[in-house]
Amino acid sequence: MSQQNGESTVIAPCTVGCPVHTDNRQLVDYIIHGEYEKALRLLLDANPFSSVCGRICHHPCEQNCRRSKVEAPIGLRRLKRFVIEATKEHRLAYSKARQVPPGEMERVAIVGSGPSGMTAARDLVSMGYPVTVFERSENPGGLLGNVIPRYRLPYEAVKEDIDDILSLGVKLVTGMEIGRDITIENLFREGHSAVLLATGLSESRTLNVPGIDSEGVMLALPFLQTVLSPIPPVLGKRVAILGGGNVAIDVARSARRLGAEKVTIICLESPEEIPAWKWEVEEAHDEGISIMHSRGPRKVFTDNGHIKALELKRCTSVFDSDGRFNPQYDEMDTATLLADNAIIAIGQRGDLTSLNGSDVQTAPGGRLRCDPKTQATSRQGVFACGEVLTGAGSAVEAVRDGHRAARAIVHYLETGDLIEQPYDDPQALGELPDETVEKIVKRHPLVLDLVKPELRIKDFVEIERGFSEAEALNEAKRCLACTTGAFADEEKCAACLTCVRICPFGVATIEKTAVMPQEKCQACGLCATQCPAAAIALKRFGTTQMRDELRSAMESQNTELMAKPLIVSYCCLFEVTSRNWVSETTVNCLESGIVRVMIPCVARLGVLDILSPFEMGADGVVIIGCSSGDCLYPTAEQRLENTVREARGVLGEIGLEEEVIDYWRTEGSAEVSWSSFWEISRRKLKLMKDNEGERANDSSRAKTTV
Amino acid sequence: MIVAERKPLSEIKQYVEKYKKILIAGCGTCTTVCLAGGEKEVGVVAAALRIAFLKEDREVEIIEDCITRQCEPEFVEPIAEKVRDGGIEAVLSLGCGVGVNFLSERLDSVLVFPGVNTKFFGAAVEPGVWVEMCAGCGNCILDVTGGICPIARCSKSILNGPCGGSQDGKCEISPDVDCGWHLIVSRMQKMGTLERLSEFVPPRDWSTSRAGGPRRVIHEGMRSQNEGSEEVT
Amino acid sequence: MKSGSKLEQLIAAGHFVLTSELGPPMDCNGEVVLEKARLLKGCADAFNITDNQTGVVRLSSIAAAELIMREGLEPVMQMTCRDRNRLAIQSDLLGAAALGIKNCLCIAGDHQSFGAVGRLKGHPGAKNVYDVDSIQLVAILKGLRDDGVQQGGDPLEKRPALYIGAAWTPLGDPVEFRPFRLKKKVDAGADFIQTQGVYDVELFRQQMKIAVDMGLHERTAILAGIIVPKNLGMLKYMNSSVAGVSVPETLMKRMEQARLAAGDDKKQASKNQAEEGIRITVELIQKVQEIPGVRGVHIQAIEWEHKVPEIVKRAGLYPRPIITEKGENNASESENSCG
Repeated sequence: MSQQNGESTVIAPCTVGCPVHTDNRQLVDYIIHGEYEKALRLLLDANPFSSVCGRICHHPCEQNCRRSKVEAPIGLRRLKRFVIEATKEHRLAYSKARQVPPGEMERVAIVGSGPSGMTAARDLVSMGYPVTVFERSENPGGLLGNVIPRYRLPYEAVKEDIDDILSLGVKLVTGMEIGRDITIENLFREGHSAVLLATGLSESRTLNVPGIDSEGVMLALPFLQTVLSPIPPVLGKRVAILGGGNVAIDVARSARRLGAEKVTIICLESPEEIPAWKWEVEEAHDEGISIMHSRGPRKVFTDNGHIKALELKRCTSVFDSDGRFNPQYDEMDTATLLADNAIIAIGQRGDLTSLNGSDVQTAPGGRLRCDPKTQATSRQGVFACGEVLTGAGSAVEAVRDGHRAARAIVHYLETGDLIEQPYDDPQALGELPDETVEKIVKRHPLVLDLVKPELRIKDFVEIERGFSEAEALNEAKRCLACTTGAFADEEKCAACLTCVRICPFGVATIEKTAVMPQEKCQACGLCATQCPAAAIALKRFGTTQMRDELRSAMESQNTELMAKPLIVSYCCLFEVTSRNWVSETTVNCLESGIVRVMIPCVARLGVLDILSPFEMGADGVVIIGCSSGDCLYPTAEQRLENTVREARGVLGEIGLEEEVIDYWRTEGSAEVSWSSFWEISRRKLKLMKDNEGERANDSSRAKTTV
Repeated sequence: MIVAERKPLSEIKQYVEKYKKILIAGCGTCTTVCLAGGEKEVGVVAAALRIAFLKEDREVEIIEDCITRQCEPEFVEPIAEKVRDGGIEAVLSLGCGVGVNFLSERLDSVLVFPGVNTKFFGAAVEPGVWVEMCAGCGNCILDVTGGICPIARCSKSILNGPCGGSQDGKCEISPDVDCGWHLIVSRMQKMGTLERLSEFVPPRDWSTSRAGGPRRVIHEGMRSQNEGSEEVT
Repeated sequence: MKSGSKLEQLIAAGHFVLTSELGPPMDCNGEVVLEKARLLKGCADAFNITDNQTGVVRLSSIAAAELIMREGLEPVMQMTCRDRNRLAIQSDLLGAAALGIKNCLCIAGDHQSFGAVGRLKGHPGAKNVYDVDSIQLVAILKGLRDDGVQQGGDPLEKRPALYIGAAWTPLGDPVEFRPFRLKKKVDAGADFIQTQGVYDVELFRQQMKIAVDMGLHERTAILAGIIVPKNLGMLKYMNSSVAGVSVPETLMKRMEQARLAAGDDKKQASKNQAEEGIRITVELIQKVQEIPGVRGVHIQAIEWEHKVPEIVKRAGLYPRPIITEKGENNASESENSCG
């Protein structure tokens, strides 16, 4: 079958939205099939900080998810976390397998061990470049390791990712600050051919209002760093946080956990404008943190040099007509807020100490001079990436920058030239049309409750739990499998309209031959099953895959040795809640006589699929579909019933018992009901076989007596 | 389109069971569209036969193929060659009767069996339901009958209908069969041309139909010169 | 006796039987039929009444058959499959039997397009029926007569006693299949066979040999068909255009010589050819009589019926045997005068 016209020029929006373009669709497919290891490898290849991102990623994949129009996006971040948690052992093995023995390649020094620097380090070391990462603190990971509060991101997650990278051979030097302990020029002299600056934004900005120097007023980053230290800061009862970003929320929630009773966030922005993620704001609110919008500090009232209260003025507008940050105030509209502490979280800036003693130039305003396209600084061989280059961003964006930097450096080391890497996103599959949305069966998205606010504010224990396997599989089931739908082979298509008539989503049309617009197709595969010309294929679990899986399942067993009756059981993949159970039943098949073929929706089975096992020597076929009414695809159950009837009819026409085909509907789950279905079918088939044998004996006896 | 229906597999099996190597040939046009003989159906028939032979412990090699149309020499020749060169002993065609004929003409010593019953020229009135709408009589009179064919759709093919057996729009032969003439009358009524039906339609010339013997159509423009000059009748 | 017809009785008694043909007119003038009947009376044992022969509408064979019975002739009613479906055919067979008709020749019938020939327009646009074919028709008739069931399965109380005839074209293509098709007709129930016109006696003899080897001559009475040639044109036409008829060159030469002998006298030429035609006919009759398995002849003098008495006499087949009350038979001119 020609697959040419199946090539898609667009990709799933979740993948487009992801800064590192993680193939989420494929990832979910792996999960559905229980191939968690493959999922892990896919994840790690795209993002070495998968453990971290599984916790704290702002998940643009989910924001882009086309399923949002149906009920809610797929919980992709937590699915990734699930993969990570389900494959810890495999991850170690995978790291080992990927180790590249360092060759005689140029050495690269990386300054900063945050996500961008470490990602670049991993990429480079994977290509054989010896890499040394210099970290000025004792803990690697940058903000991840030293700032982000543990209720959001346990250190173990950071450590997993960092250890994984280090295990590939990246050399980490902690406690050494470039520009203070050693200069960039020293690094070159020591034999490094390229230096990557990934120093991030490590300094909190401060405010210029009267009284800001008073005791009890702190800066966000040092505060958060201290929170992570063995001796956490001591706060008063009333804590005010200045700023509306995610750091402000981290500060506020940490303050709450440190015992502050009244925590108030004061921000210039209105509720609509607040830059912190919506869910962070909500969770903070649940924890009893209040937000004063459209207010800015005017003055710090002090008592004995210690902060007592804040005088606040009204912020009338935050941005100017050009969208630039340019707050305007009404100095006459003021309010006073009593506060024992104030923590300033109005933004971060880079610390350019590392440039000391080097030729790397800075731009006015104390910023690094660097071309964002080539990531090259003014000093040959020195590159920059991450927030120091891009400004504040998310972890996954830092990872993307790390990849880019590695490519830029490799190109430089190989050719001596710089390479421009424009930020070109691949084209995303279009929005789900409303008429399609209407036809999609709504399912309940899995909402995982966080630890209850009154409990979680008591400590820094992680507030979110991961998906259980059953939850993950159930959530994965909702994936629309964007861009993996049906496509017709023009050569074979007879334009018979069968696909148009049977598509439950109204997708297929005929334009000389069948066309299935990708933005509508739900990849259910019903059209491919029914197509009389065998002209339709699917990119996900293609039409031939059913037979391939059957064949490999049969061939992997010595069917002669298997228990009889030999049964092929086609089962709905979506009803399984644990893959261990699946592999156990696979292992047992010699004894049970049941060869199981898992299919994402058994309505994909055609008459031929049901007949094929008999050709291979099976005594019976047992089809197990989803629970009644639980199918993802409208009409699919009816179609399957028709197909089963037709297949039985075929057997009848050639003189076989129609009862050798059974169709069951899952009750509860696979684990709960399938074994009993198999047993019932097995007994029935055994009885039929025995009777048949008796009849054969009778007739041969009759012959001999004659 | 030509509408066909797969023959019962028991019948098909009887045709081919004495052979060791058979080819099942599908047709990618009409019989594909009417779900009787496309690539999928070829697979189903092949599987069914394999299962049946397996049960009888017989070794029969079954080869599957499906060509675009079984009524064109260019499409049929490769499959005929495959049969001749491949030691195939019998062919089961899932094309319409034309395909069986056409293949037979090209295979001197190999029998070609029909795998479908060729039914009629029809339309898909609803998914999975085809209805005869043209009898291929060779001299279309649909201009007179409002576009509804009395030859194909009246059980008696009468030209001055409806007969006395029309009741509630149904034909006297079955309540499942629409009275073709009732359809004609209703339509003409709607169009305001009912008076045309009061004109006597004289007995028609059936020589253009099957009654005139096997027919042929010649498109002179397409025909090569040599062939044209050979033709005398 | 299956039918008790004279033809059947004579065949059963071992006579070399003679049948001839009587074509009804294209209108409803029964007198024409009666006249022909009077002309042919005693010249043959039974007379075929054609059924819209060559696709030309004529007075019906069933009616014409009834008419000639009034004149004391025994008809062989011809029944074609072209114009009637199995309902009409069975109904007409029952009707014929009720009228006392005792022989029926079951044939497919010429295609209706044959009707447009010469000055005749015919009905080439007619829809033919061919619901059943001639062999099926034989079987249907046998079923009615011997099993007492209609084709559809309904029973009959009184069965039609008809002596069943069928046609055979021994020299039709593909020649090698012809004896097998004859066997099919015999198996279906044909009591007697009238063949297509024979001119090439040698080829006919070969086909007969095969039929005899198959034992068919014992299961059915084969009557060789003889078409009386009027002139060279007719012979040529028959040779080229009538399927299953081949005329040997020698016969055509003889006819040509007869024509040439008259010089420019067209009338004489026609007379000469007619005479030669009758001579040829007589010779053919005598020759086929010698062929093993041939039990009689069927003489077709198309639109030339008045020549039949002369032919029969010259062929030495006159007078025809008669059947007495006691079932004995002998030749008698008084009761069976000819011409």
